[in-house]
Amino acid sequence: MGRKKKKQMKPWCWYCNREFDDEKILIQHQKAKHFKCHICHKKLYTGPGLSIHCMQVHKEKVDKVPNALPGRHNIDIEIYGMEGIPEEDMKAHEKEKAGKDGVQPKKSETEAGPSTYTTPGLLPTPGTMPPGMPPMPTTTASGMAPMPHMMHGHMGPVPPMGPMGPMGPMGHMPPMGHMVPNGPMPPMPMQMMPSTMSRMPTNMPVKPLFPAAGQTKVTLSSAPVGPDFKPTMSMPGMSSASGMVRPTFPAYSTSSASSVSMATSISAKATISAAPTIKKPESSSGMAIKLVHPDEDISLEEMRASLPKYQMMMEGNRAPTSVVSPMPATSMASPQMSMPAGMMSGPPRSMSMPMPMQPGAPMMMMPPRPGMPPMPPMAAVPQSMPMSMAYPYPPGMMRPPMSQPGCRF
Amino acid sequence: MTVSAVWPFSPGVLPSTFIVVGSWDNNVRCWEVQQDGQTIPKAQQTHTGPVMDVAWSDDGTKVFTASCDKSAKMWDLGSNQFVQVAQHDAPIKTCHWVKAPNYNCLMTGSWDKTLKFWDLRSSNPMLVINLPERCYCADVVYPMAVVGTAGRQVIIYTLETEPREFKRIESPLKFQHRCVSIFPDKKTSAPTGFALGSIEGRVAIHYVNPQNPKDNFTFKCHRSNGTTGGVQDIYAVNGIAFHPVHGTLATVGSDGRFSFWDKDARTKLKTSEQLDQPISSCGFNAQGNIFGYASSYDWSKGHEGYDAQKKPHLFLRSCYEELKPSQKKS
Repeated sequence: MGRKKKKQMKPWCWYCNREFDDEKILIQHQKAKHFKCHICHKKLYTGPGLSIHCMQVHKEKVDKVPNALPGRHNIDIEIYGMEGIPEEDMKAHEKEKAGKDGVQPKKSETEAGPSTYTTPGLLPTPGTMPPGMPPMPTTTASGMAPMPHMMHGHMGPVPPMGPMGPMGPMGHMPPMGHMVPNGPMPPMPMQMMPSTMSRMPTNMPVKPLFPAAGQTKVTLSSAPVGPDFKPTMSMPGMSSASGMVRPTFPAYSTSSASSVSMATSISAKATISAAPTIKKPESSSGMAIKLVHPDEDISLEEMRASLPKYQMMMEGNRAPTSVVSPMPATSMASPQMSMPAGMMSGPPRSMSMPMPMQPGAPMMMMPPRPGMPPMPPMAAVPQSMPMSMAYPYPPGMMRPPMSQPGCRF
Repeated sequence: MTVSAVWPFSPGVLPSTFIVVGSWDNNVRCWEVQQDGQTIPKAQQTHTGPVMDVAWSDDGTKVFTASCDKSAKMWDLGSNQFVQVAQHDAPIKTCHWVKAPNYNCLMTGSWDKTLKFWDLRSSNPMLVINLPERCYCADVVYPMAVVGTAGRQVIIYTLETEPREFKRIESPLKFQHRCVSIFPDKKTSAPTGFALGSIEGRVAIHYVNPQNPKDNFTFKCHRSNGTTGGVQDIYAVNGIAFHPVHGTLATVGSDGRFSFWDKDARTKLKTSEQLDQPISSCGFNAQGNIFGYASSYDWSKGHEGYDAQKKPHLFLRSCYEELKPSQKKS
């Protein structure tokens, strides 16, 4: 993620340590993420506001700010944007920012299994903490590791970093110890390094670091016409570099000859066997997450095509080597796209898909718009195809358009 | 049988709208969508392997199909002839018609790690470009082509005068690329960037020459909200399509939902209810009033997730209003 390095302090969210470019966005974020009522989704303005709302409207007690980092759950602190952040935390954050500027990648979540994920509910909430008081040292989360922003997060008492590897007897660290990059805290680098380092490779397991190394060039390298996709932009360096064979990477231009015939050894099959595993995604909310995808890092299509069923099919009829065959591939040469009778009408045959063409199924607040030329009355038109009309959901059951409001990209 | 990742509508030049769908049962089917929303099956053709991609020629007279049988074929809808026009050493994942002022060709991307360009008259490609990895997804809007490959690589090509590499970018995503779609500049309507979807429920909006580095961003999508069991499921983004009029976009995912987004306002316009099967592909017609999507199993849950009882479905949805850009000014 191209993290911007800016000297100036950016607005950040006390609850989750996320940074924003604009305080307005921060406030939006807080309303959507931290001050939203889980029952009616009303967005409140502050933690206490949320608490009172839930108490009065729903008769429910909310004692933690949702989606907050451990130790930042306190619902009694009144924070709105950057206002109300405890002084200590503010300072610690600044120091942190200044200290680590560009030193380590921001994302340093662990890949450790879900066992280490923090269950926010298990965390002791610092009882009644008046603003301006450092969080209690009780915020020891056994699984702090996966919390994304913890690196620059916790101020004051540093949690004991349970499962973080080579961490010796260091129970507590002085506040902000690790924010000094090469500070006087010898155990700190030791403790941070292994975790970040060991993760680095796993973050990019698949490929050598930069594609430029795998530079392949086309035989045709013609006049360096500036192929700007964006006429409004003028990027002289760019366009000339792309016209010729990249003067910037002379070392790599050796492979500029294009090989017309690929080595046949590269078959999809061969690559599949060597498929690496997909790394586990990182949770940014502390919630356990699961990637719904097979473990191998190959595309779903490759996986499926490697099934015996399709393999046999494709082994069985190898495509001819001559490319343009003058013969029509099928004998269906009726002109003008007329369908042979029965070809696709009637009940689906065993090998053909039943295709309920469902014209504009569940139209939601969608009156056919006058003046919209084609297909004006699309709502629930009777089918022409004698196939099953499977409406997946009854009309009117659609979620409201902004079902997850405030979703920040 | 499952619908493969295919959902193209015919180009706007035709008087009526056609859709062509390729499938894992090796077939390519063509329907006509009538003014009143009725669909009429028109014709079908058969490959010797699953069909991975289909594309229309610019004049709407031909359809190109890419298949796991390592060939790509041209379907002349006028004569209903179906002839092979391209050959790779591995299954062909993508095919796109390139219409340049000085040349026309078919671009095919394959798991044999090549991108080939065919002028349809010769059995030899007019150009072969080696890819760093297997081709997973591609899109073409003249004069720009984008290819996403295994190993999270993205290569941008320019097609002006002839195809050649323009730029390689570091992937904005951390997981396997799955789909890509080029979007035009609002004012000039020249292609200016692309949306890239990954298997980790995330889409990157990427400008080729961003005026400001912050113009590029990624957003999460197609994830469960985690309220059940405390585990959030993250699904693959199977398809991205830009609305031809509004410039907003639709994404479809293995979670069985489609969502509409406004990338400029960076907001979600709508999310659908969940279907009982993943949505494998989507697209808009040329006028932008029909959103089509295909619900069929995409193998994201492996063999266990396959249920032969669940049949694939195609849906058409009137969508013109829903995809209007967000009115809110942020």
